[in-house]
Amino acid sequence: MISIRNLRKSYGGIRALAGCDLEIAQPGIYGLIGPNGAGKTTLFDVMTGVTEPDAGKVLFDGRDVTRWPAHRLAAFGVARSFQECRVFPEFSCLENLLFGAREPESEALRLLRLINLDQYAQEPAANLSFGQRRLLEIVATFMARPRVLLLDEPAAGVNPALLELLLQFIRRMYQERPLLFVVVEHNMEFVMALASEIVVMHQGAVLERGTPEAIQASPRVMQAYLG
Amino acid sequence: MLSAILEQTINGLMAGSVYVLVALGMVLIYGVMHVLNFAHGVLLMVGAYVCHFFFTRVTGSYVLSIALAIIVLCLLGIALERAVFRPLQGNLRNQVIASLGLILAIEHLVIAVWGPNALQMKVPATSALVAVGELRFPVQHLLVIGVTLVVVAILFVFLKTSKFGTAIRATSQDRQAAMVVGIPVERIDWITFGLGTALAALGGALIGPLFLVFPQMGDAPMVKGLAGILLGGMGSVPGAVIGGFIIGVAESLSTLFMPTDYRDSVAFAIMVLILLVWPRGLFGVRVRGED
Amino acid sequence: MASRIALVVVLLLLFAVPALAQQQPYLLHVLILCCLYAIPAVGLNLMLGYTGLVSLGHMAFAGIGAYTFAVLMVDAKMPFWLALVLGVLAAGAGGAAIGAVCLRFRTHFFMIVTLAFGLMLFSVMNNWDDVTRGAAGFPGIPRPAPLGGFSFGPLQNFYYLALGAALVAFAVQWRVARSGFGRVLMALRQDERLARAKGVNAMLYKTAVFALGSAIAGLGGVLHVSFLRVAAPATFSLAESINAVLIVIVGGAGSLAGPALGALVFVGLPEYLRVASEWRLVVFGVLLVLIMLFAPQGLSGLIESAWRRVRR
Repeated sequence: MISIRNLRKSYGGIRALAGCDLEIAQPGIYGLIGPNGAGKTTLFDVMTGVTEPDAGKVLFDGRDVTRWPAHRLAAFGVARSFQECRVFPEFSCLENLLFGAREPESEALRLLRLINLDQYAQEPAANLSFGQRRLLEIVATFMARPRVLLLDEPAAGVNPALLELLLQFIRRMYQERPLLFVVVEHNMEFVMALASEIVVMHQGAVLERGTPEAIQASPRVMQAYLG
Repeated sequence: MLSAILEQTINGLMAGSVYVLVALGMVLIYGVMHVLNFAHGVLLMVGAYVCHFFFTRVTGSYVLSIALAIIVLCLLGIALERAVFRPLQGNLRNQVIASLGLILAIEHLVIAVWGPNALQMKVPATSALVAVGELRFPVQHLLVIGVTLVVVAILFVFLKTSKFGTAIRATSQDRQAAMVVGIPVERIDWITFGLGTALAALGGALIGPLFLVFPQMGDAPMVKGLAGILLGGMGSVPGAVIGGFIIGVAESLSTLFMPTDYRDSVAFAIMVLILLVWPRGLFGVRVRGED
Repeated sequence: MASRIALVVVLLLLFAVPALAQQQPYLLHVLILCCLYAIPAVGLNLMLGYTGLVSLGHMAFAGIGAYTFAVLMVDAKMPFWLALVLGVLAAGAGGAAIGAVCLRFRTHFFMIVTLAFGLMLFSVMNNWDDVTRGAAGFPGIPRPAPLGGFSFGPLQNFYYLALGAALVAFAVQWRVARSGFGRVLMALRQDERLARAKGVNAMLYKTAVFALGSAIAGLGGVLHVSFLRVAAPATFSLAESINAVLIVIVGGAGSLAGPALGALVFVGLPEYLRVASEWRLVVFGVLLVLIMLFAPQGLSGLIESAWRRVRR
């Protein structure tokens, strides 16, 4: 489903991606972690069409999408959320969900009910609290009927009291639509609890992958973070 | 032919001096406040008018008039920063539109008060001719270039060594970091604005005696100063200086082989070319968050 | 509902003006100018108000339309209405071509490039004497040719033409605002990066609205020079481009009535009050600054909030 082959990307003298390889063939919630400078943001940027790699390939469902711009990827079925949480502030919650949507309005209303925002359907998204906007943003990605869902630090900025709710919510969404989720996260507790498989990056390449338990016990991963 | 080139080069350096003064003011303000003050041209013009006023009505001393004009415009600039630009901080589009409003209001206020006709500012002391090779230039021409170079030098020293200068540079590079380190960024804002306005006023006061003092006199220098900033690289102070001089000289030299009607277009064409081919300019400083 | 009634009433009044104001050709003259300023403002509103593109060279495209029309009519001896259509298309094409270049830049740089192109086009209009007749202007532009026996020579008939053209422009604006295309434009204004992530080809949409806005400006330009019977560069200068921004902002950027309100205030009010033109522009400059500081939604926004308060 996702195939990353030998991706290379340098910014000036800094090698952000140094021959990164990753194959993900099954749906699931994959956590993408790594210490600072490991290259996960760059990998994410390449996958979402924000940056072009210097070399290498990205394939989604067998299609070479390596240098596709963001809008083409979105049309192809790559949906994403943003670390800073982006919604259209002047559009209402419902309008936000309906923008560029492939699902009907009934689905939008159902999703709004799911996140307890149905009474705010006509309310401009700017009036929501941060947590509410985060839920709205994630739910909006489903309206495009994506093949792959890329979440950029969904826990960032979320009140710790709401993190558990967010976790349950993302799990619930996965149960409804077993797509391929890739979640970049710094919040270890969150991502270990959420993901079924963890991919660890280090120095621009994939270091190790496995279940959360295996990764947490791995001496190589520990050394990457501490060493 | 050679003397024609020399003549136009000196003319170009003179015109370029004014562009440099405008460009410096704009680039300093842009660096610190991240706003392009399109109203800088009218501030130059008001500087010329104020200088003219002091020179003809109050004191016969050109130097004193220049100093007074600089002080008055500096205060005006600070007032504008606090009243208009500070409240709109963070909203680029609104700041630019507000500066357009300022251009309209100030330019037409001058027309309403002083009339639409040009004023003359004859400074006998500087009208005398000076010889450069076989060419003759009014002293004022060379004065403009000389004063500008001196001011640029002082400005560089100020920015590099003085406390405020360093604070200005720090705020330009990273406003958040500057705040964390304890730099009073709000104070830096209005100081920089006042400084930029003072430079514009100096430019106006210097070219007043050369041509005429008229309400639209700042429009072209503003655009050309802008072209200079783009050429030198947005956000770069040395770039603004070099860019401004290059524009002035290129413009003047172009009259040797192009009809003079199109002289103004040289700056515009350079601007568009730079943006198309080399958007970072000569010493481009990549300002984050422009996207 | 109330706004619909108000709209119908206003339209009826506007159509009745020539009959109601028989002895006041001056009023017709002023209203015609309002229309001629409102039309390019509609084009700019689509670009600036709905899409967030601050163009500082808008009137240059009105100039492309006007001068193309002038050359086709006077030099190529084309029929009026054909030359008008071609003028509008030329303005739109110019917008597409120049827009494609300008739109590669964001925010500050976009404003600067549009400013630069506007100045360059003005320079061409001012100096290319062979084609544009230079600074003195292109004389001999006729009033519109009669349509089905209806002649546009008389002031009141030209008024109906100007009013009709303005209505067409506003109808286009209304249609766009309600359409999916308009929705995308508004999304681009709010958050372009997000819109892209949702599948919007930003460049395509922005170029399209730039072309549309320029074409509408071209319509205004053609009618303007037909009214004045001369095409002069001064009508399409940087100052006029700034006036266009003023009209859009004061009226209310991104609102349907904005360009009309702005044009009325800009042209109508001072003409009616007989204020000296220099002070008028001082007032407008100050007004623009005040609106940015205290009422960024412009007159349209002020009216709307006043209306909302009345209803409570």
